[in-house]
Amino acid sequence: MGIKHLHRNIYLSVCLSVCLSVCLSVCTSAPESPRKFDCRSREKETFSCWWEPGSDGGLPTEYRLFYTQERLREVRECPDYVSAGANSCFFDKKHTSIWAEYTMTVVATNALGNASEEFRITDVMEYVKPDPPVNVTVVVNSSAPSPFLEIRWKSPPDVDVRTGWVTLKYELRVKQNDSKEWKVIDIGSETFFNFYNVYPGLLYMVQVRCKLDHGKWSEWSNTIFAEIPKNHQLEKYFWIFVFVFSLVPFLMAMYIVLLKRNAVKQCLLPPVPGPKIKGLNAHLLKSGRSEDVVNALMGNQNFPPVAAWTEQVEDFLLVSDSDEWLLTDSFASEKNKDIFIIPAGLHLGLEIQRRDLSVDLNTWEKTDDSKEEAKSNFSNMEPINLPVEKHEFLNGEEKSIQPLASTSYVDIQQHPTLTDYSRVKEVNDNTILILNEEEIPHGLDAEEVKSEVSVPDDYSRVKEVNSDVVFLEKGDSADGCCKKKEDHYTDWTNQNKGFCLKMIASGYVDSGPAFSVK
Amino acid sequence: PSRRTEILNMHLEPQRNVVYLVAMCRAVPVNDLLDRASQRSDKMHSLSTLLTQEMDSHFPPYGRMQMPRPADCHTSALQTPNDKEQALQVSESDLMSLARSLLQAWVDPLAVLSTSAITLPHPSKSSISSKIQELQEHSKSLGDGLDILSGKMGPSAQAISFLPYTGGTDLGQDRVTILNKFNFLLSCLRRDSHKIDSFLKVLRCRAAKLQPELC
Repeated sequence: MGIKHLHRNIYLSVCLSVCLSVCLSVCTSAPESPRKFDCRSREKETFSCWWEPGSDGGLPTEYRLFYTQERLREVRECPDYVSAGANSCFFDKKHTSIWAEYTMTVVATNALGNASEEFRITDVMEYVKPDPPVNVTVVVNSSAPSPFLEIRWKSPPDVDVRTGWVTLKYELRVKQNDSKEWKVIDIGSETFFNFYNVYPGLLYMVQVRCKLDHGKWSEWSNTIFAEIPKNHQLEKYFWIFVFVFSLVPFLMAMYIVLLKRNAVKQCLLPPVPGPKIKGLNAHLLKSGRSEDVVNALMGNQNFPPVAAWTEQVEDFLLVSDSDEWLLTDSFASEKNKDIFIIPAGLHLGLEIQRRDLSVDLNTWEKTDDSKEEAKSNFSNMEPINLPVEKHEFLNGEEKSIQPLASTSYVDIQQHPTLTDYSRVKEVNDNTILILNEEEIPHGLDAEEVKSEVSVPDDYSRVKEVNSDVVFLEKGDSADGCCKKKEDHYTDWTNQNKGFCLKMIASGYVDSGPAFSVK
Repeated sequence: PSRRTEILNMHLEPQRNVVYLVAMCRAVPVNDLLDRASQRSDKMHSLSTLLTQEMDSHFPPYGRMQMPRPADCHTSALQTPNDKEQALQVSESDLMSLARSLLQAWVDPLAVLSTSAITLPHPSKSSISSKIQELQEHSKSLGDGLDILSGKMGPSAQAISFLPYTGGTDLGQDRVTILNKFNFLLSCLRRDSHKIDSFLKVLRCRAAKLQPELC
């Protein structure tokens, strides 16, 4: 009997062990209870929960969720196992209560048994996490003075912001493409932001996220890239820089030129020599006093008449009252005839043939050089170009010059009682014309001729000299002066006597030693 | 066990109720007052959220399952809307009344929290203490503002439900009890401050029909 029992025991134990080993390898069991329970609400109106299943025991296992709410006494089952995916439960609006505690029980059931686990949701609000904002746009605004990013976005589509039930707050972050740090900005409830801290030529990344009622932050939105165009501000600055730096030397140059404008003027516009009389004061001319003008023109020159005369042999005046003299007097025709003295008493019936005169004029012109020489002996003056009015003095004259016939000097009538003055009508280059007889007041003072020679009565006295008028005191002296011409005719070249009057181009009248004319 | 005291009969009036505004003088308009009020309530909710997070940083001795339940909050007796549809159906006066009742219910507990925070066996007790003080200030000023607002809204807005705090001034004797009680009170405060904030914001949005940007 003992051995039979022993054999049975051995047989049973072996069987059991075999069975167990077989069982262990292929056995199924009841499922394990699910683990890890999590929920999420996207908009404070619905929420979903997920659990992680435990081992299913090798058998198909069913999971069911039962819940109770704080206020509800009944136990309800999950209304939707599908919408939120596998191992999930979706609570729609009707089944969602905020500020209410949920007690969830997840039961795993298979053929061999079940297992359950309880999870508590104190407040759905603790699981609120919205979706990220959508339609994030970043526009580079390049307006002055500096570019900036215009960032815009929209609230997540399932969140209702219109009723006040939900308050969304946003957060934004910007980063340079190659930088490591984000710049984070709290936005508040607005859905736009202008970001100014950007630099041209760089690429920026922008992201936005939101949170609902101080709940959890959403995920960051998609990254939006924005590149700031390289502006030409630098170039602008460069050109401004160049301009300013070129302006400075320019201004300096202008300043220097201004300072030295006279020198520059000399250099660029060399002065054109103009007519200038030494000792001539232009202002005196402007003032218009004839005496001053004459003084200016003459200067303080002593005109040594003696020296002049020696060379002026040819410059004496030959006046004749006959054509014949004019024509035949070779001397007269050859030499320079400066002055015609015509007695005022003579009603000048002298007629000078134009032709002759023109001949004379021509000779005069030819002897311009000698004339000028003569002038220069008197003074070192520049030649003054007085107009040679060749024909004028022949025009419109009441009286004409007529050479005295058959005499080489002028017969001057005398007025013993009255000193007769004749006014020189016109003086041109070499000629004094006494054409009119005018009564000249006696009171005129004559300017002494510079020779300061005491003039005997025979000499004509110059009463007054101005630029174009010579007042001659008529008297015997004049006659004497001129009449003696003929006597000393041959001595002209060597003597400076026998001059009646000498008029040089400048209008100076000199009375040298005169001779009487009888 | 919670005592149910029904003090206020909730009438879920249709949304067609018009906010009864009596412009007594040219004072700050109601829209602006509501905006300011909701800003304060938002700040209060933010502070209470930070407080619970700060408390949780130091791992509570008890697990969640053993904590007192929200149903045990002293304000849980008050019937309030629990989802959007319900909230949008409540009249403005009732919303205001609910907000004011909740606010009033937390005056005493905040004082208790304030005194307990000073000696709280928690590493962040100074930060917690300063936040609770700030909460008290906000609560006071918000209460004053809501008093003025409710005065403009009619008698039903001025009715306040009485929700007494019966927890006593002492949170407990041992550290664990103290911390747990503290934690529990803060979670109740967070829920109630969020209710106040949500109701006021719905009110603000509804009163600002002409200015949608306030919503």
